Amino acid sequence: MPKPIHLWAFLQGIGHYPSGWRHADADPRGVFTMDYYRKVAQTAERGCFDAIVFGDQLQSRGAGGRTPQRLAMPTLDPMSLLSAMASVTQHVGLVATVSTTYNTPEMLAERFGTLDRISGGRAGWNIVTTAHPDTAPNFGETELPEKSLRYRLAAQTVAETSALWDGLNAQHGPSPQLRPVYVQAGQSNDGRDFAARTAEAIFCPAATIEDGIAFRSDLRRRIAEAGRDPDGVKIMPGLSFMLADTPEEAIARDEALLALADEALCIEYLSESLGFDITSYPADGPIPAEAIVAGTILPAADIARALEKPVAQGVTLGAFASRFVRTPRGHNIFRGTPEQMAEMMIAWVEAGACDGFTLQPAFMASELEMFVERVVPLLQARGALRKAYPGTTLRETMGLTRLPSEMAA
Amino acid sequence: MTRRFLLSASLADPALADPAVAGPVLDQAQAAGLDLLLLGRAGAVPFDAQVLAAWAAPRLTRMGVVPVIPPRLGHPFHVARALSAVDYLAGGLLGWNPVAEGEEPEQIADLVQATRALWDGWDADTLVIDKASGHYLDTHKVRASHYEGRWYKTQGPVNAMRPLQDHPLLVVDAASPFAVPGVDLAIAAEGQSAPAAARLLRRVTLTDDPGALADAFAQGDIDGIHVDLAGASPELSSFAERFAALASPAPDATGTLRQRLGLPLPEILSAPVNASVKESL
Ligand SMILES: Cc1cc2nc3c(=O)[nH]c(=O)nc-3n(C[C@H](O)[C@H](O)[C@H](O)COP(=O)(O)O)c2cc1C
Repeated sequence: MPKPIHLWAFLQGIGHYPSGWRHADADPRGVFTMDYYRKVAQTAERGCFDAIVFGDQLQSRGAGGRTPQRLAMPTLDPMSLLSAMASVTQHVGLVATVSTTYNTPEMLAERFGTLDRISGGRAGWNIVTTAHPDTAPNFGETELPEKSLRYRLAAQTVAETSALWDGLNAQHGPSPQLRPVYVQAGQSNDGRDFAARTAEAIFCPAATIEDGIAFRSDLRRRIAEAGRDPDGVKIMPGLSFMLADTPEEAIARDEALLALADEALCIEYLSESLGFDITSYPADGPIPAEAIVAGTILPAADIARALEKPVAQGVTLGAFASRFVRTPRGHNIFRGTPEQMAEMMIAWVEAGACDGFTLQPAFMASELEMFVERVVPLLQARGALRKAYPGTTLRETMGLTRLPSEMAA
Repeated sequence: MTRRFLLSASLADPALADPAVAGPVLDQAQAAGLDLLLLGRAGAVPFDAQVLAAWAAPRLTRMGVVPVIPPRLGHPFHVARALSAVDYLAGGLLGWNPVAEGEEPEQIADLVQATRALWDGWDADTLVIDKASGHYLDTHKVRASHYEGRWYKTQGPVNAMRPLQDHPLLVVDAASPFAVPGVDLAIAAEGQSAPAAARLLRRVTLTDDPGALADAFAQGDIDGIHVDLAGASPELSSFAERFAALASPAPDATGTLRQRLGLPLPEILSAPVNASVKESL
């Protein structure tokens, strides 16, 4: 019997491909309606997903002054979307990404406390410190605190918020999970240590099975060093996917969808992610790798590594940018048949590369539906995925260690 | 359009955060003919009403929900985003009632103006969404508002759409008054000085005389009533028995709250107050 696979659905607007909204099966206006979120949430629940996850930012892209309007993609507040989805589902977990830097402990305690209650114990908190410099002016500040300081403040904010939950649980009776499941997604040394001390699940990039094994081994070591049980923390790397009946068709579908991307816009997105303006370079020219590595605000070594292969293959800047935008954090990209995908997922988990996957549909609802209809039954037939939810709370669904006082409650 | 008698109530029971309680309460409140349900009230905010309003959104058939929001639970940037989302999810059945918890009224006014400035950074017709040309939005319709008030500074543009109703209905309670232009609804007891608003709801109790209230409505003194309910059951039934007839025949329940109540569209873009709402970038 293979090890159990955990599944998260990472939702974002119409989906993760920059051109997903242009697909004939996509309904891009739907992202402003409840019908769309009801359908997507119920599809995830039908596929026995552990949770729905949203990333979040506290700024419009590009508001720093360079070509801002082109980049400003309006979105709806994930915490509100998850609260509404709680109303139309029974089991699936609801993980919101919320910043410790731009929320007070009281805001955090009340928001998540209320979500945990109204969802019957399905709340999760992806604890982020906010890395984008454009966020500060939206909160009346000029600069973000420096990263190590942000993580120190985060630990303090989590502790203060936790104390407030104790108070609220005493005042109103315990909320089903007492506090949300803690999720973390930091990559740096500070980020990994914070995760090792705090997180119950970790969202990370892992482009290959080797990356996954390396990351998970490192985190498990840090978790053990922090005096916690490594089995109590689930590692959930991102997974971008494109399915078809044959591998060739899957690649063709992928290429066709990427071809709909606005390359100039993707170069702007890439510039924005890099924190470095490359919009003056031609889309059909080579990737300006040296300039990027010298200028980016992201870790230069990671970027240099990510650029190696496309530069060697002579990929144009425009083509690179549209592929980059599909999964900016360097997640695994799968293209193939449902059978191959199920095999790959089982192999990763068996090899200790992860405990499950954070799926990033190209566009929704149909790509998520395809996964649920074609891959989920294969995983279930192999005994790698449950056919029903084991309990009611997210902590039960994820097989996480329950909090001591949760068992008493 | 014919003038309608409006029915409003508030509930501030912490049990509303329990889905087994909240579901039936919403059904009962809608069945009672309420136009508005305030989640919490000035002086009693035992949950994050923005979360509950979002949870309620897919269950609303006719009633508007009004989260009560004190500054401790709402920075303008977060409020602008949350309420934009809920307004869409609820099909435009959203209001909001900012209240002070010891803060000066001017701070609440500042919170409201900052939030509005963020919403006004997006025009209502920003989205183009043309699959054929690949044109998603009209970039000239997004602006950083550079709002600077005494308590709140926020640059924008906010990463949220302009709400479906342009702005959700702004409700001001005389129990926690503040002064901003463009208030949609005020709640005040008889004889209490009421904040300037497009519509006035009189705060009454379950023992008030419906006949006298019908007269006050007929004379144009009030546009409806508001009751602070101690609990949902049996108070909502008592409310319906006593007051539902005032609003009959029940009007068509279509369109957004703003449309149904015949309220004007917000005008803040042309009349920013106590702040500089600049068009820059
Ligand atoms: C897979 C992944 C997803 C993330 N999602 C978000 C997000 O949605 N919002 C956010 O503010 N930060 C997000 N982060 C950023 C991290 O929380 C962190 O702030 C950032 O990676 C910088 O810290 P680090 O150097 O420790 O990685 C994400 C990071 C990773 C690796």
